[in-house]
Amino acid sequence: MSEERSFEPKIIYFMCSWCGSGGSETAAAHHLQYPENVIPSRVNCTGALPAVHIVRPLIEGADGVVISGCHPGDCHYNDGNFRARRRVALVKSLLDTLGLESERVWFRYVAHGEGRRFVDTAAEFNDHIKKLGPNPLKTRSDT
Amino acid sequence: MSDTDTAKCKGNRQAQTVGSGTALPAEDGVEAALVGWLKQTLDKRVFDAVLVPVEVPAGDSFAYLLLRDPAILDNASPLPPVMPIQGGKVISRLTMRGNGNQQPEAARIAAVVRPCEARAAVELAKLQQAHLDNLYLITIDCPGVLPLSDYIEDPAAGAARFAQAAAQRDRSPMRPTCQMCNHFSMLPAPISDLHVATLCSDGTLSIVPGSPEGARVLEEMDMPVETSLDGWAAQVEAMEQAQTERRQQAHAELRQTVAGADRLLDVFSSCINCHNCQRVCPICYCRQCYFESDALKLPPENYMARAERKGALRFSPDTLLFHIGRALHMILSCVSCGACEDACPMDIPVGQVFSLLADRAQETLGYVAGERLDEALPLVTYEMEELGHVEQPYVAIYREQEVQDA
Repeated sequence: MSEERSFEPKIIYFMCSWCGSGGSETAAAHHLQYPENVIPSRVNCTGALPAVHIVRPLIEGADGVVISGCHPGDCHYNDGNFRARRRVALVKSLLDTLGLESERVWFRYVAHGEGRRFVDTAAEFNDHIKKLGPNPLKTRSDT
Repeated sequence: MSDTDTAKCKGNRQAQTVGSGTALPAEDGVEAALVGWLKQTLDKRVFDAVLVPVEVPAGDSFAYLLLRDPAILDNASPLPPVMPIQGGKVISRLTMRGNGNQQPEAARIAAVVRPCEARAAVELAKLQQAHLDNLYLITIDCPGVLPLSDYIEDPAAGAARFAQAAAQRDRSPMRPTCQMCNHFSMLPAPISDLHVATLCSDGTLSIVPGSPEGARVLEEMDMPVETSLDGWAAQVEAMEQAQTERRQQAHAELRQTVAGADRLLDVFSSCINCHNCQRVCPICYCRQCYFESDALKLPPENYMARAERKGALRFSPDTLLFHIGRALHMILSCVSCGACEDACPMDIPVGQVFSLLADRAQETLGYVAGERLDEALPLVTYEMEELGHVEQPYVAIYREQEVQDA
């Protein structure tokens, strides 16, 4: 338990410009808080997020990556979230095959108005990664 | 994977009907018979040029030649013991800038390639890096190829070893990726315009039309398509089944040696960052590779910070990122040709690892690289309802707080 408390994961939260970031704005308007170790990173559309950018932080020091875009049918660019889902499936397949804990990558839709859902996702993912423990790659010097 | 996805990636071979072909006598071997036939096609102007591997003058390797003079065909070796360059890459280089339609009468080119090379050409065509319109893909039943490093030690002995193993259908001296290859024969219509059936040939070889264009070539050559190929088809199917089992077993064993951060880093620890695997890969066509771009050339502060975080930082950095990232970029189109592994000076089993990753990833997205020309690449298309396992469900436990806040 003490170990779990002392381990503060580093988490990257990729959110799209429209719904994901909108969710964080709504959360701010409602004064909802999320863990400070979650680092938000805005991308224009989750469909424009290269797969390499999901993996790169995992190799270089992040413990988890969470990606939030619009709900199906709500994408500002019509189908970016569907494309993102395919790309996340590719990343997860690769991580699974290489035994690199694909559960360190989460993909969950957050709508513009869902401030609570945004905050919950950040908090829930944070707890989930705390339970998983540190990413074994982040302390390896020979990556 | 939904049922429709599964249906999409299966059922190709079953759909094609390979009934019959044209038998050619092959007393002096398969290669001589095929070369003789190719000569006739050039003489009769059925083809304007033939793209075929030819032994280099020094006698220690093979290279594709775009042949217009039938006399040079004498030196051709349609089934060389090694694959110094992937034929898909050659076809891309030849046809990238157009399909030859600019000429009054479009030139017809026959490309004699192995099945994995034809599959790479199909993927490159989908990636807008090749035009297959006037190109006739002639595939051959492939016994595999020797590792380049084995062959160049003694080319003559290598050629003899290859000939013997091919005759006995023994894949053990071949490259590891060839040992577990399960796409060694005719490709589903209409990709193999013509296929050269050598397995089960008993002194003959058969040329099988796979597309209407291929059938037309045989017509122009006055070659009746009347030899029944049921024996060959049954043989191929049995071998494919055995090879698929072998592949699955090899992949299961391979996974034991690479899965997990420690083992993965052990496998790639001897990498010297030469990027040969990327240079020779037919699918890696980018003019500017991300992993050689400025995106990975960072200011020293960055390296200092990473060294501080990790205690030390290996130089050149980002070796694992290169391999995993390159995999992410190309495994959905990977045809497991093994060119990367042949090019690796450190004997890293990169081709085997990538074939494992490719099979799993392509299965996830219901796609088989190089199987169909009319199917969209998996990352440029999508279904509304699919891949539900990727989405993280919103769990009720975190809603209690919401109720309290309200």
